[in-house]
Amino acid sequence: MLKKIKANYYKCMALPAFLLFFCFFIYPLCLGIGMSFTNWDGVSAEKTFVGLWNFREFFRDSRAIHTMLTTIKYGLLEPICINVVGLGLALFLDSKLKMTNLMRTFVYLPSVISALVMGYVWQLMLRPDGGAVRQVMEFLGFGAHFKAWLAYPDSALWIILLVNVWQFSGPAMVIYLAGLQSVPQELYEVATIDGAGYLQKLKCVTFPMLKPAFQINVITNIIGALSVHDSVVALTDGGPGYATETISVYIYRMSAGARAGYATAVAIILLLITMLPTIFIYRAMQKER
Amino acid sequence: MKGYKNRLRRTLGYIGMGILAFIMLFPFYVLCYVALNNRSNPLSQGVFAMPDITAENFITAWQRGNLGGAAWNSFLITAGCLVLIVLLGASAGYTIARYSNTMNKIIFSIFLCCMMVPGIINTVPLYTIMRRIHGINTHWAMILLLSANRLPYCVFLYKQFVESMPRDLEEAATLDGCSRFQAYWLVTFPLMKPVTSTVVIISSVSFWNNYSQAVFFLQEKSLYTLPLSMKQFVLENTKNWNSISAAALISAVPMVILFLCLQKYFIKGLAAGAVKG
Repeated sequence: MLKKIKANYYKCMALPAFLLFFCFFIYPLCLGIGMSFTNWDGVSAEKTFVGLWNFREFFRDSRAIHTMLTTIKYGLLEPICINVVGLGLALFLDSKLKMTNLMRTFVYLPSVISALVMGYVWQLMLRPDGGAVRQVMEFLGFGAHFKAWLAYPDSALWIILLVNVWQFSGPAMVIYLAGLQSVPQELYEVATIDGAGYLQKLKCVTFPMLKPAFQINVITNIIGALSVHDSVVALTDGGPGYATETISVYIYRMSAGARAGYATAVAIILLLITMLPTIFIYRAMQKER
Repeated sequence: MKGYKNRLRRTLGYIGMGILAFIMLFPFYVLCYVALNNRSNPLSQGVFAMPDITAENFITAWQRGNLGGAAWNSFLITAGCLVLIVLLGASAGYTIARYSNTMNKIIFSIFLCCMMVPGIINTVPLYTIMRRIHGINTHWAMILLLSANRLPYCVFLYKQFVESMPRDLEEAATLDGCSRFQAYWLVTFPLMKPVTSTVVIISSVSFWNNYSQAVFFLQEKSLYTLPLSMKQFVLENTKNWNSISAAALISAVPMVILFLCLQKYFIKGLAAGAVKG
């Protein structure tokens, strides 16, 4: 018996990994789905089945609806901005100029630092009393336009967006650069012979070849943006008021406030919000191929 | 005419790079400037005024923020996670690539699907599991949890790589009397070094910087990782921006050094994920 296991172990070497993954990912996921139908507080033994009550509660609470809309708005804007900036930087730094390698290093550098730490750094930069951004704006003559943006509900989310784009365009850029380098040079040569200009080459040669890079960038950024947490905590902590509270911050607060059942229901809603666009984009791109 | 146009384009390119470098590096400059400065509101004098240099902020941050202990905790968790994901991820990726029986196919598709699920979804139910296995406020539970979250990505990269490897060497090894497992462990695993380095480097950043899981499961101050200590330090020292900057610098430095030394692996690693298509 033991011999048989030993002889066939090589076929089942995926099992240990799967076991760990099952215990700490799939099992809690299933447990969470069950929990979301109860009114459990997270501590007591009492747990009553309440059906879809938690979900109804979510859609009745104006604060919850607001966190959902904030998350969706952010989840829509962040991937767009990061991909536009990342692609732009990749095209710019793929040129034959000197020092492009050094520039790539600079662009990538912030993304290896914790988003929480970087959030505090930007809070320091944006301080109204003697913050560096204000100094620079005054130097350039825009001093009058400075506001304590993080303190206003209308602008705080945009600052979070900007900081994230600043910090995380690097990885997107690197993926696009890898895509650019995989385009065969002959294609460009043929296009040049056919008389194509720069923009035409971009449209007819570069972009179609970048599709895999585009796909991976969009999907990973959507998933990341919809569960944004660290930089929100550091920059605004959901404030002013609840203006920049995203779903993941909300989940954290609800579970800390002894509403485990409700918090898991919110998590399930976040899961659905994440899955829908990812599956949709994945499908659309598979079809095009 | 053409030369003139080219020169113009090149000049514009360098101006663009200058602006880009300023945007990317200015926050780091300000961070160092404030951290090294003795004045309590250093930037009110202008960003380029001569700083009143002192190392005191670093000492305050290091002592009051317990950053040394936090760095050690971060290191332990990162190291533990790396060992786990490399051992488990490599063998899983290998088997899935080499022996595609039904079980392996199902396991792989589950891993792929779960790549779409953000980790934060599981935190509340995980809390109950962690309490049952007495894993709250322990490093080992944190290690298991974080590596489980990272496994799908890892398995995917390994599978991708093994598929592009020739089978000849393994077969030669089995002919020489190795068991299948030995052939994997003694021949193939060492040959997977390129992916292993990618997995280790890219993942160590995410383990080191993890905050959203750690904040749930590590509540005792002596177990805090760097991001947690950083947050705690900011809460306890509001407005003391000099030492906050010093603390931020200290917690950023390890990953910055790692990145600067191993740049080419970072870039290779991300590119490896991108060829999926």
